[in-house]
Amino acid sequence: MQMFLQQIVIGLTIGSIYSLIALGYTMVYGILELVNFAHGEIFMIGSYIGLMVLMLCFSSGLQTAVPVLLLLLLAFVVAMVVSALFGMAIERLAYRPLRQSPRLSLLITALGVSIFLQNLAMLIFGARDRPYPEKLFPNTSYHFWGVQVTLLQILIFTIALVLMFGLNLLIHKTRLGTAMRATAQDTEAAGLMGIHVNFIVLMTFAIGSALGGAAGVLYGLYYGVANFFMGFQAGLKAFTAAVLGGIGNITGAMVGGLLLGVFESLAAAYISSQWKDVITFGMLILVLVFRPQGLFGEQVPEKV
Amino acid sequence: MWFKKLVAVVLLSSSLAACGNESNTLKIGVGAPLTGPNAKTGQDLLNGVRLAVMEKNAQGGLHNKQVEVISGDDRSDPREGIVVANKMANSGVIGVIGHYNSGVSIPASAEVYNPMKIINISPASTNPVYTERGLKFVFRTVGRDDLQGKVAADFAIQKGWKKMAVIHNKGAYGQGLAEEFAKNVKAKGGNILIFDGINKDDKDFSPVLTKIKAMNPEILFYGGEYQDGALFTRQAKQVGITVPVMGGDALYDKDFVRLTGQEYAKGSLVTFAAGSQSSAFNKSFSEKFGEVGPFSAYAYDATHILFAAIAKAGPQATPDAIRDEVAKTKDFPGATGQIGFDAKGDLLQSGFIVWEVNASGDFIQAATIPAKTVVPAKKP
Repeated sequence: MQMFLQQIVIGLTIGSIYSLIALGYTMVYGILELVNFAHGEIFMIGSYIGLMVLMLCFSSGLQTAVPVLLLLLLAFVVAMVVSALFGMAIERLAYRPLRQSPRLSLLITALGVSIFLQNLAMLIFGARDRPYPEKLFPNTSYHFWGVQVTLLQILIFTIALVLMFGLNLLIHKTRLGTAMRATAQDTEAAGLMGIHVNFIVLMTFAIGSALGGAAGVLYGLYYGVANFFMGFQAGLKAFTAAVLGGIGNITGAMVGGLLLGVFESLAAAYISSQWKDVITFGMLILVLVFRPQGLFGEQVPEKV
Repeated sequence: MWFKKLVAVVLLSSSLAACGNESNTLKIGVGAPLTGPNAKTGQDLLNGVRLAVMEKNAQGGLHNKQVEVISGDDRSDPREGIVVANKMANSGVIGVIGHYNSGVSIPASAEVYNPMKIINISPASTNPVYTERGLKFVFRTVGRDDLQGKVAADFAIQKGWKKMAVIHNKGAYGQGLAEEFAKNVKAKGGNILIFDGINKDDKDFSPVLTKIKAMNPEILFYGGEYQDGALFTRQAKQVGITVPVMGGDALYDKDFVRLTGQEYAKGSLVTFAAGSQSSAFNKSFSEKFGEVGPFSAYAYDATHILFAAIAKAGPQATPDAIRDEVAKTKDFPGATGQIGFDAKGDLLQSGFIVWEVNASGDFIQAATIPAKTVVPAKKP
């Protein structure tokens, strides 16, 4: 039982990072019906930016003067802003000119952007793994009924929840959110109702990318490294989470990410870590066979 | 219009001239992961070759020709390795120093280098299979995992450890080494509590580590490269495993300590050969390229062995003649010691030392196991 709970804790931690990334996929899909393969790279860029901010603070000696939490906040804000700018630039430069062309062209463009960003990061930051600053965070852990929970795990889970809660508020309680939902339902009708569709799409990319960037920083803090190809694997997992939850559905992405994290963790612990991916993706196939629209997705009639 | 034609003619003739010059150089190839997860090690290896080439060219080259390095990036991917190998064959190299990962060296040597009569000397691939297939053009300047696994197992048993957990990253190198280790441990009465693999692209190994923690092993053996090994070690300590992590030569890298974090890396055990013994090599390498990588000296030696063979075979030698000269190498004074090859292309003398990461993050000798002659293995 103890081990089971421990695995759940591990699964929820990695799962909450998957969820944050998955939101970016699902939001963009909801509006453009585009699988934005470059999103994993935005996550990677966020991780690097967070690392750079922390390194700068360390080399300038700021970390002695300022509490750690403030430093982290700074890293998060800068990483989210830069990621958002990247997301917006990608939308404006790579996707908008192709908005009216076949879906396949957009998909290929997304792959191209992804490869471009990966190589750009390799040239700028170098090919080797870059460690996050050590001893940034006290290595404190708490024990509840024999289950070890680290301060970092609590922080990751909390930040992820706060961001997701904030997103929910934004989507359901603000004018921007209403406009986003309207655009997702019917782009043309939304435009006719006076919604500035281009602006809404740009905002969607900005918000999704900011969340991806935040996930990048969390990931870097948790695993202690950033590298230029980290976006691929994490992006693939997050995309899976989005599909599992029902792509296009915000709640689905959140739940999908957490579920995927827990699945993985349990599969590795109780069956074999070698077979972990086989089991997780097998589960995904099973879910999709019985619920093709994903756990939370709605069966929408094909748009004509 | 005439102007365009003129430009075209000038360009064409200059490119022809370039072709003419090329035949005046002697080409050797380097196949290594120059990007991707093992990029740092790949660059270390390439720089080792470059240093040897610079030295040779400063002496006037070989047979009055300058030596040119053709490098190919295999990204640690066996399929890319074949692409690189074919590129090498097309550019007319005499020999290839590489590759790094056993999983890449094994197919590239069998599919391309050996049939194309290109001498292939790996400065890093330790999986026994590499030289066990009777391929004439295949050599290596490092020891083998059957010896390495045995040295690691002997050390653990000597320490009195009986209960061991063994995890690998499913690569030819990692899994092969882990299997050798487990085999030797079992033969000596040790107990393997768990033998499992992880995906090297993953970042989270804590589920399986949590499971291992509950088994209370006395040592945790990891077969894999340092990039995943660092995360593995770090997370092992984070989930509360206090026993040391032990690994193979691929963990012997300063970056392993950096990425794991000094506090977590402390006490880790790594088997590696003696490395560079030559202060002259260390000095000129670090002047040109910075920190000496663990495999730089092996790549440097492999290159000089190839040069010596080309020099001995004469200017008009066939690939077979050069290959025979490489095979005859005995007591070659390399940066890593005296080098000679046996009939399979393995080192005549190779040994592994167990190193321990100390509190300041340096590798110090934990135990010396005297250099042993490679065990003569059965015909493939």
